[in-house]
Amino acid sequence: MAEIQTEQNETLFIQHFREESRPLGYYLREMAGYTALKKAFGMSSDEIIGEMKKSNLRGRGGAGFPTGMKWGFIPKQSAKPKYLVCNADESEPGTFKDRDIMRYTPHVLIEGMVIGGFAIGAHSGYIYIRGEYVREAKLLNDAIDEAYAKGYLGKNILGSGFDFDLTVHRGAGAYICGEETALLNSLEGKRGEPRVKPPFPAISGAFAGPTIVNNVETLAAVPFIINKGGDWFAKLGRLEKSGGTRLIGVSGHVKKPGLYELPSGGITLRQLIYDHCGGVLGDKKLKAVIPGGSSAPVLTADEIDVVYDIDPMMKIGSMLGSAAVMVVSEEMCVVRLLIRITKFYAHESCGQCTPCREGTRWMEDVLERIEHGSGREQDLNLLLDIADNINGKTLCALGDAAAGPVMSFVKKFRADFEAHIRSGKCPNA
Amino acid sequence: MPKCIIDGREVEFTPGQNLVEVAKKVGIQIPFFCYHPGLTVVAQCRMCAVEIEKMPKLQTACSTPAADGMVVKTRSEKVIQAQKATMEFLLINHPLDCPVCDKAGECDLQDFSFKYGDAYSRYTEEKRTYLDLDMGPVIKKNMNRCIHCTRCIRFGTEVAGIHEMVAVRRGNSTEITTVDGRPLETDYAGNYADLCPTGSLTLKDFRFKKRVWFLKRTSTICEGCARGCNMTIHQDNNVIYRCTPRENMEVNKYWLCDEGRFNFRYVNEESRVTVPMARGEVDWDAALAAARNALSGKKVAVLVGSDLTQEEAQLLLQFVPRHLGEAPLYHFGTPGIRSPQDDMPADRILKRKSKTANLHGLEKLGLKGFEALPSGTQAVLLVRGGRARLPELKGVVTVGVGVFRADEAQGFAAVLPGASFAEKDGTIVNFEGREQHLRRAINPPGQSKLLSEILMVWANSKGGTHV
Ligand SMILES: Cc1cc2nc3c(=O)[nH]c(=O)nc-3n(C[C@H](O)[C@H](O)[C@H](O)COP(=O)(O)O)c2cc1C
Ligand code: SF4
Ligand code: SF4
Ligand code: SF4
Ligand code: FES
Repeated sequence: MAEIQTEQNETLFIQHFREESRPLGYYLREMAGYTALKKAFGMSSDEIIGEMKKSNLRGRGGAGFPTGMKWGFIPKQSAKPKYLVCNADESEPGTFKDRDIMRYTPHVLIEGMVIGGFAIGAHSGYIYIRGEYVREAKLLNDAIDEAYAKGYLGKNILGSGFDFDLTVHRGAGAYICGEETALLNSLEGKRGEPRVKPPFPAISGAFAGPTIVNNVETLAAVPFIINKGGDWFAKLGRLEKSGGTRLIGVSGHVKKPGLYELPSGGITLRQLIYDHCGGVLGDKKLKAVIPGGSSAPVLTADEIDVVYDIDPMMKIGSMLGSAAVMVVSEEMCVVRLLIRITKFYAHESCGQCTPCREGTRWMEDVLERIEHGSGREQDLNLLLDIADNINGKTLCALGDAAAGPVMSFVKKFRADFEAHIRSGKCPNA
Repeated sequence: MPKCIIDGREVEFTPGQNLVEVAKKVGIQIPFFCYHPGLTVVAQCRMCAVEIEKMPKLQTACSTPAADGMVVKTRSEKVIQAQKATMEFLLINHPLDCPVCDKAGECDLQDFSFKYGDAYSRYTEEKRTYLDLDMGPVIKKNMNRCIHCTRCIRFGTEVAGIHEMVAVRRGNSTEITTVDGRPLETDYAGNYADLCPTGSLTLKDFRFKKRVWFLKRTSTICEGCARGCNMTIHQDNNVIYRCTPRENMEVNKYWLCDEGRFNFRYVNEESRVTVPMARGEVDWDAALAAARNALSGKKVAVLVGSDLTQEEAQLLLQFVPRHLGEAPLYHFGTPGIRSPQDDMPADRILKRKSKTANLHGLEKLGLKGFEALPSGTQAVLLVRGGRARLPELKGVVTVGVGVFRADEAQGFAAVLPGASFAEKDGTIVNFEGREQHLRRAINPPGQSKLLSEILMVWANSKGGTHV
């Protein structure tokens, strides 16, 4: 990893994450606000999508799908209206990056959405924001009002002839509504349950019209790409096929938790934890790292020399997910930690499909039993089996999100689980 | 035609067909719960998982359209393991009370458990339970047996046109129930019991009356209206226990309305006249004599129920001129519905306004709808299959042939008890002109006879012709 530099990294967002940055005036003055939009209006849809492809921007919502390619799936002609939807549900435990974009630089998101709408031919946009983000929803609405007042939203934007309306839609507190098709159901006023794919939203999404769903951070990158070019953005990243910077949320047992912005693929997990975050709290030994939101399979202290980006993380059997890193010191009981995670996914399962509805709760029950002293020797294999019977066999990825932690924790920390079962309680308690 | 390969066998398919249907064509069963050919595909139960070459994950056959050259395995090790897993998941919270469940013997959950599941479960935690819910007169709910396939919800919104079944709460606590726990409103509610793959939704009318393996089935047609839905009569020992829909994509798809489904009840009813009557129970000879007597020398009109079959109506068309002289014939059946033009759709689903099955057939035979008796009419011969609504007749002597309730036949000079739709064979013609066939499921009860027999003894018995 000799080439990896951590100095003089260019950042797009984080220097603006201050209260003063919020007003439109700041955005126009300090961030070249709405100049990308003007530029985009001089480009064709294909040219914009071409820049997006060149940028190597990959979705920041979790799956890392190339954004330009996704936009390219939208049919040029459509009898039904097209939609651009921003996924601001940000509910994966550990994740708090989209919040700051909406809180401090809402206009960059708005501008990104108008450009996105123009590129795919959508005249309506929605920001689906998690219900708990009460303040952010209000700030977004204020910014949207400002944008309407100045003609950046609404009819004939900047004299271009292009119309675009933007609406903030608040969720009602379900994690599953961050899954894009459940989000669309919820947006339509239906029960928040994922839909069978195909059809993918690009073909039939919101109100059955062609729809792009992108994460907040993804859409907020768009103005930078249009202004400075796809090639420039691609070069911000340090790996092939992964452009731009990443907002990384670090929490747990580190000395300096918080939000970091670093080049995509620019550091290893070890550098992140020890160089940027000052190491483990109280200089304890590192026990584990949950590297990409709580659904990401856990890593042991020996596995953190991995480059922290989409492909390398996948290669070692985990994922970058929403780039939320949770650091776990030796003082934390991994059994309790896994129970907490499993409870979450069981609680948030929509209940539609069999393996997730039945299996997540079963895993939770078995883990609870182990924690409360009535674990049995065969429980660990049972847990692995249940998780395996869920993994890859559900309707949406929430099943995998529940199975991944169980499989990785039990496999990697089996001794801790066995000790619990043998002694009928937490040996460290 | 494009072809795919399923378990090593080449199968032709029509583009758009899913793998469950394509496999079925060559006799390969892919088990499924949430899929129903008459409802949208949701791929929720995961029972239909199959392995498809070049795809790393198992795919759900119900939501996968066959593609040219696709290679599918329905019995690979991975598939068998997934089926076992799904069965295990579905059963961990199931009461497994098949011995006291009315669905046993025709339960997909039971059958697939036997075929694709393991005999043994690893579940030792407490089972999830729900409170029961009164869903009104048609359906009994036992939520503990529900496998959350959502067929009922989709039937309500997509077929019955009413969003009355819903899922509430979520995850493991998801409950399938009605909106606010209200009773069901649709008049197609019986279908909920048919399409529920478990004993969660059962028919109140049928449950615990008979274990299904004792029932004998006869394919026939519903006589409840002019659509003529295809259905099956289930009987044992000459008693009808229930009627269920029979698939016919051109007539009723997979469904029956409640009125048609429960129409059979009159067949077994106590009050049905099943012995010859002439102001009291008499034998056939005396009843026939009374009937002839009542009509003899009078100006007679013949009213033919449009619940009769074509064959029965044709017999009457021959019989009447020979034995009742000039007597005119009219058909009757539904108040206000006298001609095919009156028979409009009664709802947006199946029902027709003509509440008898053979209005269109009788019109084809030249009979006209009854409006009023020709003036001077003194006597009426009323012939009915059982369902036609009797017209109000005043100041005439009436002889009834066919199926009547005792109270209906009160003032009749004679009743010659006949056979209901379930007791005879014959042709009926539906609103689209489709000829369909009633099949005899049970014997006419008591001393009732088929119309052909009644007319024959009438014609041949002492006293000869009327004229
Ligand atoms: C259970 C589940 C929860 C999700 N939650 C979120 C979320 O809160 N925010 C988000 O942007 N994407 C979330 N996703 C991913 C979305 O489905 C979708 O892939 C993403 O919004 C696409 O945007 P992107 O291409 O910009 O990453 C979730 C996915 C799953 C399966
Ligand atoms: S995997 Fe879970 S959350 Fe996703 S559709 Fe199935 S039950 Fe719902
Ligand atoms: S009640 Fe029956 S049809 Fe409805 S979801 Fe449950 S199992 Fe399926
Ligand atoms: S719609 Fe008519 S034919 Fe069909 S079940 Fe109902 S009554 Fe019978
Ligand atoms: S039948 Fe295919 S998932 Fe239920």
